[in-house]
Amino acid sequence: MSGTGGARRRSGSRALGAGRGAGRTNDGVRDGTVRDASSGAAARAARKGSNRIWWRIAWRNLWRNRRRTVLTAAALSFGFVAAVLMIAFMDGMVEEMVSNGTRVLTGQVQIHADGYRPERSIHDTMGGREGIDVAGTVAAIQGVEGVGGVAPRVYGGGLVSSGDETAGAVLMGLDPAREEAVSRFGASLTEGRMPSGRGEIAIGAAMAGTIGAGLGDEVVLVAPAADGSTGNDLFAVTGIFRLGMGGYDDSYALLELATLQELMALDAGRIHEVAISVTRIGDSDAVAARVAEAVGGGEAGGLAIEPWSVFLEQLHFMTSMMGAANAIVALMIFGMAIFGVANTILLATFERRREFAVARALGSSGRAIVRIVLCEGLFLGLVSLAGGAAVAIPVVVFFHEFPLDLSAFVGTYEMVGSAMRPYLTAEYSWDGPLVSALALVGTGVASALYPAWRAVRIPPADALAGR
Amino acid sequence: MATTAPARHAFRTAATAPTPRRSLRPGLAAAIPAILAALIAPAFTPAPASAQTDPRVLEIIDEVDRLMRGESSAGVMRMEIDTEHWSRSLELRVWSLGTEHSLVRVESPPREAGMATLMVGGEVWNYLPNVDRTIKLPPSMMLGSWMESHFTNDDLVKESRLIEDYDIVISYEGPRAEEGGEEPGEGEAIWEFTLTPKPEAPVIWGRIVQEVRQSDRMPLVARYFDEDGTLVRTMRFSDFRVLGGRTLPTRMVMEPAEEEERTVVTYLELDFDVGLDAGFFSLRNLRARR
Repeated sequence: MSGTGGARRRSGSRALGAGRGAGRTNDGVRDGTVRDASSGAAARAARKGSNRIWWRIAWRNLWRNRRRTVLTAAALSFGFVAAVLMIAFMDGMVEEMVSNGTRVLTGQVQIHADGYRPERSIHDTMGGREGIDVAGTVAAIQGVEGVGGVAPRVYGGGLVSSGDETAGAVLMGLDPAREEAVSRFGASLTEGRMPSGRGEIAIGAAMAGTIGAGLGDEVVLVAPAADGSTGNDLFAVTGIFRLGMGGYDDSYALLELATLQELMALDAGRIHEVAISVTRIGDSDAVAARVAEAVGGGEAGGLAIEPWSVFLEQLHFMTSMMGAANAIVALMIFGMAIFGVANTILLATFERRREFAVARALGSSGRAIVRIVLCEGLFLGLVSLAGGAAVAIPVVVFFHEFPLDLSAFVGTYEMVGSAMRPYLTAEYSWDGPLVSALALVGTGVASALYPAWRAVRIPPADALAGR
Repeated sequence: MATTAPARHAFRTAATAPTPRRSLRPGLAAAIPAILAALIAPAFTPAPASAQTDPRVLEIIDEVDRLMRGESSAGVMRMEIDTEHWSRSLELRVWSLGTEHSLVRVESPPREAGMATLMVGGEVWNYLPNVDRTIKLPPSMMLGSWMESHFTNDDLVKESRLIEDYDIVISYEGPRAEEGGEEPGEGEAIWEFTLTPKPEAPVIWGRIVQEVRQSDRMPLVARYFDEDGTLVRTMRFSDFRVLGGRTLPTRMVMEPAEEEERTVVTYLELDFDVGLDAGFFSLRNLRARR
């Protein structure tokens, strides 16, 4: 049945009411026979694998206008690459912030007695008054998967005095060898070495300046002890450290663990903190959970085992904010893409009005039409994804291996206790690209929704009549 | 000796050291003369008059001033400290001259015996017999507790200077039986002084309310509020008796509002006009073991 012939015949029959009626009857009869046959075939096809047919039709439609499809897919791919790269850079910044924020002093997982934070009372030692088996606990944690280093610590407050000058200090008792895998104190020594026993102390460079003490000088330490007495003793400065951030340099004084315990009248089993570094920062939460399994319960009950996101709340807040910003920008990219792609698919469906009309006239259901158009959108998304991934993966790998050096434009700055270097490093992650990929394919399908609806609404007769 | 919580990690020492309301004036006067001042008079000592302060308050202060000027004293007191984690008792020997000089030496327990604190004008030194060293207390440490008690270096010093830093008004006058039945001033006529900081005063309290017995001008209780108006701690005076020829509250109890803790200071001996001069309050005497 040719379109022009049909139109002519219809316009001719319009003048005669009877002829029109007769024609319709005939058509009805003829249609009936055709429909019987076609509906039987369709039913069979549907039973056997009509889906495959729809996929194929959609796929062929997609490539009917190659240039248009490629351009549209390129636009989507570009959006995908932009989103993936941006997320990778953001992850790189987060990683850098968290790494700097946690590797200097805190570690990524910490264990305290319940209620030690935020007051940090000298009395709230792990395991209460009885304390814990420090060596055993440390060994148990060291064996947990994903744990890098484990460092037991004791804290106190006190005065460090040299000559006429006295400064208030956070006294930190530590195991110098174990700290190497957790904190940067050892690496940041500008002079001397870490304290290794009685009568030895390492102080920050700023504090050394304040009290006028140099390497080898004698300082007096006064610290309130756990029994209410006042511990005091002479120490020699064996090391001076400069972390360069966070105010540690003017307030921290480091002693060997047992020495500080003795000064503060704490038994050997009484420590305030176990700081743990993890091999992969992203796994901090999981490691914290595994550590809790390893040491929780038993005699070590009543412990708070927390990842950095808990004890460095501000840093966590910052990084969460950056994650949210990521999501918003990605949303904007794909949001814009939806309308662009919808426009293209809409044009493509308008071009094929007659085709859809034929399909409708042959008995295709509206659902089938919708399926075809949506499949086109889906394929477009997948094609774009393939192209986008082909570009995004090497680019991310490149920026991971060769960070973009922005030091010509910005200097190092410090925020929420975490120094940032002016480098843009792309960090690998799974959820960023995965979400972007889903968003991309979703964009393809979503942009086909309106064209699909329009395609269903095409009146077959009018379309076939060229109207 | 006097230790405190350094800023960064906010370690809490045994005493509740309140956060400074404004920056502290560098160098503050002595702590122990202030205890004496608080004992002998309801914390009012010589100072320039303020237009804001009630003239009747000044009159009372003048009277106290006459008693206090150039006064020297020597005594023995016991300081009992009860905290959540430990309890201990210190015996202290105390010398003072006016409000600007004082020397306190720990007599017992043995672990601390010989530790001493010298306060001259705005400066504080501690002597540590273990290591035979004297350390000068930095101004930033004035909020730290003294010998791990509930008295800080600073707040006692402040007692002697209340008139300089606060506007003082009589906020209540007449009989009052409020401060619990145990108070000796129950039902007696009292003055209630309310002290509010002068605009630029470097003080840590938002308000101090002090009750003084009218009949003999003995202090009964002082309540310290932070700037939000929350009660931070209460100091009660009791056991009024004659010591060194004068009637004094010989027992003072300092209780922080938040914890079930307290420091009790009891005077065992006290003599006035013991003939000390400023030269006695020297670094050499700080170190001298008795």
